[in-house]
Amino acid sequence: MRPKGVGASVPRREDDRLLRGRGRFVGDIRMAGQVEIAFVRSPVAHGRLRGVRAPERFAGRVFTQADMTGVKGILARSGLKGFRVSEQPALATDKVRFAGEPVAMCVAETRAEAEDIAAEVALDIEALPANVDMLRAAAPDAPRVHDDWPDNLFLETFVDGDIERAAADAAIRVTRKLRTSRQCMAPLEGKGCVAVWDRHMEQLLLWTSTQMPHIVRSGLAECLGLEERRIRVAAPDVGGGFGWKGLLQPEEVCAAWLAMKLDRPVKWLEDRREHLVAAANCREHHYEITGYADAEGRLLALDAVAHVDAGAYSVYPFSACLEAAQVGSILPGPYDFPAFRCRTYSVCTNKPPIVPYRGVARTGVCFAMESIIDAIAREARLEPYEVRLRNLVRPEQMPFRNVTGKDFDMGDYPESVRRAVAMIGHDAVRERQKAGEPDGRRVGIGYATYCEQGAHGTSVYHGWGIPMVPGFEQCFARFTPDGGVEIRVGAQSHGQSFETTMAQVAHEILSIDPDRVSVSHGDTALSPYSTGTWGSRSAVMVGGAVATACEKLGARALRIGAHLLQAKPDEVRLEGGAVVGPGGSVSLDEVARTFYRRPQNLPADVDPDGLELTAGYRPVVDTGTFSYATHAAVVAVDGETGGVELLDYVVVEDGGVLLNPMVVDGQIYGGAVQGIGTALYEAMRYDANGQPLASTLADYTLPGAAETPPIRIAHMETPSPNTRFGQKGIGEGGAIAPPAAIVNAINDALAPLGVEIGALPATPHAILSAIAAAEAVR
Amino acid sequence: MKAAAFEIVRPRDLDAARAALGREGAKAAAGWQSLGPMLNLRLARPAVVVSIAHLPELRGVSETPEGVVYGACVTHAEIEDGAAPDPTRGALPAVAAGIAYRAVRNRGTIGGSLAHADPAADWPTALAAMGAHVRVLGADGVRRVAVEDFAHGAFAPALAPDELVVGVEAPRFSASARWGWWKFCRKLGEYAEAMCGVLVDPDRGVARAAFGATDGRPLVIADASEALRDPDALAAPFAAAGLDHDPVARRLHRAAFRRAAARAGLLEDVPT
Amino acid sequence: MTQATLTVNGRRVAVDAPARQHLADFLREREMLTATHLGCEHGVCGACTVLIDGAPARSCIAWPAALDGAEIVTVEGLDDDPLAARLRAAFTAEHALQCGYCTPGMLIMARDIARRVREPDEARIRAELSGNLCRCTGYAGIVRAIARVIGEGVDAAPPRRALSGTAPLAATVAAAAAPQKAEPAGAMTFSVEADGSTRIAQSFVTPFPRAAVWAFFQDPRKIVACMPGAALTRVEADGRIEGEMRVALGPISAAFAGEGAVSADPAAFSGAIEGQGAEGAGGTRATGRVTYALREEGPEATRVDVSVVYALTGPLAQISRGGVARDLAGRLTRVFADNLAASLAGRAPVEAAPLGAGALLWSMVVSRVRRLLGR
Repeated sequence: MRPKGVGASVPRREDDRLLRGRGRFVGDIRMAGQVEIAFVRSPVAHGRLRGVRAPERFAGRVFTQADMTGVKGILARSGLKGFRVSEQPALATDKVRFAGEPVAMCVAETRAEAEDIAAEVALDIEALPANVDMLRAAAPDAPRVHDDWPDNLFLETFVDGDIERAAADAAIRVTRKLRTSRQCMAPLEGKGCVAVWDRHMEQLLLWTSTQMPHIVRSGLAECLGLEERRIRVAAPDVGGGFGWKGLLQPEEVCAAWLAMKLDRPVKWLEDRREHLVAAANCREHHYEITGYADAEGRLLALDAVAHVDAGAYSVYPFSACLEAAQVGSILPGPYDFPAFRCRTYSVCTNKPPIVPYRGVARTGVCFAMESIIDAIAREARLEPYEVRLRNLVRPEQMPFRNVTGKDFDMGDYPESVRRAVAMIGHDAVRERQKAGEPDGRRVGIGYATYCEQGAHGTSVYHGWGIPMVPGFEQCFARFTPDGGVEIRVGAQSHGQSFETTMAQVAHEILSIDPDRVSVSHGDTALSPYSTGTWGSRSAVMVGGAVATACEKLGARALRIGAHLLQAKPDEVRLEGGAVVGPGGSVSLDEVARTFYRRPQNLPADVDPDGLELTAGYRPVVDTGTFSYATHAAVVAVDGETGGVELLDYVVVEDGGVLLNPMVVDGQIYGGAVQGIGTALYEAMRYDANGQPLASTLADYTLPGAAETPPIRIAHMETPSPNTRFGQKGIGEGGAIAPPAAIVNAINDALAPLGVEIGALPATPHAILSAIAAAEAVR
Repeated sequence: MKAAAFEIVRPRDLDAARAALGREGAKAAAGWQSLGPMLNLRLARPAVVVSIAHLPELRGVSETPEGVVYGACVTHAEIEDGAAPDPTRGALPAVAAGIAYRAVRNRGTIGGSLAHADPAADWPTALAAMGAHVRVLGADGVRRVAVEDFAHGAFAPALAPDELVVGVEAPRFSASARWGWWKFCRKLGEYAEAMCGVLVDPDRGVARAAFGATDGRPLVIADASEALRDPDALAAPFAAAGLDHDPVARRLHRAAFRRAAARAGLLEDVPT
Repeated sequence: MTQATLTVNGRRVAVDAPARQHLADFLREREMLTATHLGCEHGVCGACTVLIDGAPARSCIAWPAALDGAEIVTVEGLDDDPLAARLRAAFTAEHALQCGYCTPGMLIMARDIARRVREPDEARIRAELSGNLCRCTGYAGIVRAIARVIGEGVDAAPPRRALSGTAPLAATVAAAAAPQKAEPAGAMTFSVEADGSTRIAQSFVTPFPRAAVWAFFQDPRKIVACMPGAALTRVEADGRIEGEMRVALGPISAAFAGEGAVSADPAAFSGAIEGQGAEGAGGTRATGRVTYALREEGPEATRVDVSVVYALTGPLAQISRGGVARDLAGRLTRVFADNLAASLAGRAPVEAAPLGAGALLWSMVVSRVRRLLGR
């Protein structure tokens, strides 16, 4: 290992420009002749669109789908059997299907003026009954979101298992109905784009705040009927994504079309109200779940019916069914038990489409599974951690194929529990509970353990049949004539720190100082193809690609260096930014200078492809890495206010070999606080007509610094046998376990009152209502 | 999310301010911290905003034996930081320090808060509990109103269109005064779900309590001595004020009283 | 355009922008200072925090024309500031940023905290940071970075200068008697119907015989005139009506225009007004049905039972519910009852009026906006 290579907490090279306010986000891009657009959005959740009327004086400034001749709707199919296809028009045509759906776009020199126009556009809409609750929307007599469907189901899946036999033997049977809230990812920067027709390149250039430029390009090409070579999609600095920026949005199609129509740069910046009400929803699950266990708390079987509210349309590229169908395959979590049955429904409703959010289905699944584990613990009169220890896959079983056929790579799951128990001081918390709090609050302790499949590739995704299947990840690498290195990758970094970590990988392989490595990313014109940044895949896939490209580049440099050193190729190595041989060394600067500027000094058999190349990478086993963690939370619940204070929070995580531990910790802290938001604060609520009730950040509560406890992290390190450095994907993990751990802790605290919370978020109002209801029963 | 077009008037003096407020669609703004979001969301679409925070008469303080008068445009942060004399033995700065966020407190003003009459805001309730008064400039001169009488209801101050809040009188607490202030917010700095201020000042014959975060005007209990002996006495005023329509709200308001009183050292904070 | 001059990062700048352009857009669009980021534009997230006269403030809810003479400092203006330099180094050392979007606002706030907070107390730093949202870092590195800088010593901010204004105006008008507290006009109930509509029911007694009240109710113009802010623009013989309603509550004001139909059942002394309205520039739409029934309470008194069922869509609907509707509906009903009595007695209504249904609809509108109205 090199000092600034893999495993070193190298300070970030992105920071300086961002700290000086010199990043370039999409909103900072300003082009000559630019116009801005504002959308007229449906005020109702469901209705027939009869007409759009704009005042005469705005002729040429208001556009509807009727104007967008030849522009196709967004289609995100899934190949799963029975999947129903929804087509999402860029602008609504005959029907509006959620409040906030774009219906018309208005263009002006400034956003304010565009909004002035939008305010005067009248929509003639005949309101229809809205499908707001997914359970009711799934009923056969519910009004149809898509008129030609027989019901409101995108997809139903069923995993069968022999539950009956297990049930017959079970000493313990626990059933729960559980619900997670609809959320908004709420990156601090909303979506946004600037579209311009580049006359010189004869290309549409779309700057967009995205996690996946290449995928956006493919989708956009389909909608616009352009060849992909006619489109360049580039991501500037991106202000957080968390999944929300992993899709093609109708607004991007509109801006792109309008830029070509007007032959002027067109800018659209999603404002916070648009972000909250019109897009960006995620993660609304409902479970009816039964766990069967023997008297010692050993799981015998799990039986579940899960609904996911997928909203009105199937989102490109992940489709409307990824989340629910994933439930069917990952609900068993890190546990080893023999029988599993699960039916899932992806329900179409009159709400915005959902997009996979950090952790995707795992956050809901972990909440469901871990709630059941705690329920079993209470029945079995065991400590919750003890039930986990009895059921987790053990290290000696690894690699392990679980009940749904997931191949766990490596790890010691029970050890993560034992360490968490020790770190959180479990026995001391129990003592404290016994003693009681001087202020009357109730203390509780909760755990959640999960494993997270990351960087899963072709073998997993081809089965989904969605518009995107990750294959080989590629990296372009080049020595510049002065000996620096340019790295270009197709994935996109919006906080993940590629510019630092990928330079570390280059340093690890090439020995060149990371400060002499530039990493660029997220631009279809400059980088190799990639499906982008999602699915906790970048450390593994991009890291592997950069390593592969650098190895090949290094081999070429070594051959030139050996020639310059008059050494044999197998006698030289890369060290300290130089090719080192038995009798001396030659700097990589000199090697590069020789290749580009003094080719007369090159050996006769030099590789004519030179000091730049694109190389690809895919792990031989591409079913994914399985990072895992146990989170433990200690809470104090105030029975008079319903307030929950997080007294302590511990994460014991195994991400394999960490490329940059500081960056990994940053991902865990950030993910965990998002999970705290899921657990206690965030809910996108709708009224019975489908009107969203949170259109500002005063209504949609995000956790702040004061709501966040100091989080303590401990690492285990079981290298993945399948990846280049033994690294595992961990980007999403932090956000998976907090709702489960925190609600388990709340329920532990409130158990003496007979109160159990089964819905997220556990707000003060929900807790007080539950306490009041329990008191009424007694 | 950009404001609809409006004009900003920055009057040279109070007369000009009142004249500008007489214009159609005019609205006064001091710190803009409540009006600003409404403008950007286009929920508020005034034709004219009369910006008054710079007027010197609204930025001064005067002290008397009875108390301190703050100009209406003294900011929360100025009170928090002790830039003005405090007759309440620390009560006012502590309330100020709990309002929203520092960046908001740097702009938001005490008079603006009262004129806005938001039931969930801190000043209307805290100042009503203290027995403070508002000074209002109108056509006939400056009138004086008790804070508790200054709101007809939520967002409905007792203020004519061309009137301006010019000052707030805070009474001087005696050395034996006991003050307790407690509020409950889901997120620090966001709107309170419940709040209560309790003031017992035997030397002045005061035993008051005020409840905020109600649906309407703050509930003031001018003689809270009975409730301080037995919080169950709150049931009747709560019912009259509609604070008991939901068991959760009732619980929270009760807790607010008990905790405010406990902070004042007037009630044991007995856990339930 | 409004004439004003600002100092931005030490440079004098004339404000030549439309008044409605907020300070953040002014800085970004006119001055090309794009460090100041917009995360919400409603004063919650803190990404746009800048220094105004040395103190952190939200630039998305500040307007240049109101800030004549103010000194604005953005992150660009802190390049050479020694404390900002220390904070930048600490932010990097503690991994206090990921995507970097909240960072400029965080840095402005962090610098202010470092100057005001003397001890590196983590809980205090977290509380002081509560107005700046970060979605990437979980705040861990930010809190550590600020604590580190404070722990290494920071020159304290100079004490705040005493206020420089002139003494507040003295009271010149004799104190009026405390206004009489109005009695509640009657029990009011709120409920949500199965279809998602809201229902408000109210009952009050008016001291006139039922026949007189009934006759009054058969004239939509008279009824509407009793409702503050409402007016009918057209009344057809077949019961169709058109009207408008101007309403204001706190900083929000709106004008609804609508149409509807009136029907009555003389045998039952009951009737209904159904209608729908739209708020022109705001895009909020409302539909509603008002029903009333008159009961005799003795020969000289009539009980009026009114219920309003309504549904609302559009921007004003898309903000959390609060209980403010109860309060406003109660006050409106009280005024309505008073005006009804006055009109029946031949006096003019107390408050000049604009649709009865509209007023109650309005109360429902404001029930949604409570959270943002605050501060």
